[in-house]
Amino acid sequence: MKIIRMSAQAFRSMRDNKVRSFLMMLGVIIGVATLTTIVSSVLGARSQVMSRVERFGLDQIMVMAGAGRKPGVPQPTPTTLKIEDANSILSEISNVKDVCPQINRRDIPIKYQNKNSYAILIAANTNWAEIWNTQIPNGRFFNDSEVSRLNRVAVIGQSLVNELFDGEDPVGKQIILANNPFEVIGVLEKKGASPTGLDLDSRIVVPISTGMKRVFNQDYITNIKIVVSDVNQMTDTVNDVKMLLRERHNLAPGVEDDFTIVTPTLIMALASKVSSTFNIFLILISLVSLFVGAVVIANIMFISVNERKAEIGIRRAVGATRNDILTQFLIESVTVSFLGGIIGGLSGIVTVILLSHLMKMHFGALATPLVISIACAILVGLVAGIQPARKASYTDPIEALK
Amino acid sequence: MINVQNLFKIFHKDGMDVQILNNITLDIKEGEFVSIMAPSGMGKSTLLNILGCLDKPTSGTYILDGEPVQDLDDDELSRIRNSKIGYVFQSFHLLPRMTAWENVILPLIYSDDDSDMREKANEVLQSVGLQDRVNHLPRELSGGQQQRVAIARALINNPKIIFADEPTGNLDSKSSAEVMNIFRNLHSQGRTLIVVTHDPNVGAQADRIIEMKDGQICDDRWTKLSS
Repeated sequence: MKIIRMSAQAFRSMRDNKVRSFLMMLGVIIGVATLTTIVSSVLGARSQVMSRVERFGLDQIMVMAGAGRKPGVPQPTPTTLKIEDANSILSEISNVKDVCPQINRRDIPIKYQNKNSYAILIAANTNWAEIWNTQIPNGRFFNDSEVSRLNRVAVIGQSLVNELFDGEDPVGKQIILANNPFEVIGVLEKKGASPTGLDLDSRIVVPISTGMKRVFNQDYITNIKIVVSDVNQMTDTVNDVKMLLRERHNLAPGVEDDFTIVTPTLIMALASKVSSTFNIFLILISLVSLFVGAVVIANIMFISVNERKAEIGIRRAVGATRNDILTQFLIESVTVSFLGGIIGGLSGIVTVILLSHLMKMHFGALATPLVISIACAILVGLVAGIQPARKASYTDPIEALK
Repeated sequence: MINVQNLFKIFHKDGMDVQILNNITLDIKEGEFVSIMAPSGMGKSTLLNILGCLDKPTSGTYILDGEPVQDLDDDELSRIRNSKIGYVFQSFHLLPRMTAWENVILPLIYSDDDSDMREKANEVLQSVGLQDRVNHLPRELSGGQQQRVAIARALINNPKIIFADEPTGNLDSKSSAEVMNIFRNLHSQGRTLIVVTHDPNVGAQADRIIEMKDGQICDDRWTKLSS
């Protein structure tokens, strides 16, 4: 086949000019590497949003104390949200299946023997583990009688186990939590970092009664997680919760809510908004570097066409048509950019894997971004190669052979 | 084989018309060994380019192997160059980074022939006495050997006509003799050979000598009795 023979000639020419071929590839390598990384992280961010929504629970609503709050953003907590609010939501709104009132507080000092650390303290009800879909691989969660007796029992995260216990089994050990002695009764399943970068394995969960009376000495809570029975009535339920709380908090019409209701839809919208602006910027950068790659290829191809006038003349003299010459030069530029695409794509994937290990970032599938990037690279080779290849094909063999 | 009638070639240069070929009429039969002789600048290379289908005449007719070629387009001329014509140049024009056999197969790349290129290359290289230089690069070969590689390249598609433009111009006398020896062999095998030269010793080896001056044929004579 003529096209196979001509491709072999093009490969031969690339192999004979390794430095030139590498320089031609460089722009494509960089562009494709960044493009692969970015597309992978975009896909990762999207799947992360989905997993975050799933973790939040598609059938769940969160009521946070304070107006205009965003999940994961710390602010001074207003004192208006009470545990009684949670109880009345459960008893008065029919679509509500379960509620979990809780207090969250970061940077709580925790101590075991002579080792110190800081934890995220969560004071919650016995249904916390179930509602947040968290297993207890070692030990157990606390029960109702421990809640009603204000027992000092705690379930701790894996990071705290590693930091404080150094291989020892933590269950049954005494720790000091904000100057109170607690007994560790269980270990939380490993969850990794939250989307906002919080180490979920540095959490420690205690009964809400114990937390309110013995640790924080407060009568208000941070938030209420609500589980609904019928997801299709989510909007109505959100409204019911809102009206009920406004009534309970004696808010006059026109006064702003002193709480914030977060739904899965809201989380999805927030997360995708943040990532999309940033990603458009990054994708622009990698497209610019691909464009630069195309310019580099076109330039070097033009120089190479000039240098290889005699070669073109010889090939024309022995019977190559203009089209043959055009095809051969196009094969060269496309092959160069294709190889650049493969090298760049693989380095992009290595970068993705390194980043996901180093930064605990979430990345999406690797195959899709690789395919997209290599397709872009081939396109770059075609676009960049067409003008130089045309020029080569119009070389006058008589002039070239003088 | 070659029939040329009233051929003109005019170049436009700096707003002036320069007449390079002036009413050439020529008939070369199959199997002839012809040398075209002229001092440089007398139009012999232009004539060779037109006869070799690299260039087109301004006017006149040219019938090559029964086919009128003066009006053919570039693709058809390429096909004719590939299948009917072999070229040998003064400065060899080998691709410097390719080995002898890779240079030799160049015309096969653009032909429709799908047979084993390597085997064919070995055959023609053997016919010019270079069977032990198959994998050498041009810079590892002497001038005479390079020209023989170029002749092998001209032969690989088994063309009917070989055109040679000053084939011995860059060679010493010993290599020249080798090259001319090959040409005489090709001639004895019945191939048509047209050699352009300004060297009378080279020209004298042909059966027929055509002399040119100022774009016109001024002498056309036989040196030997043609068979």
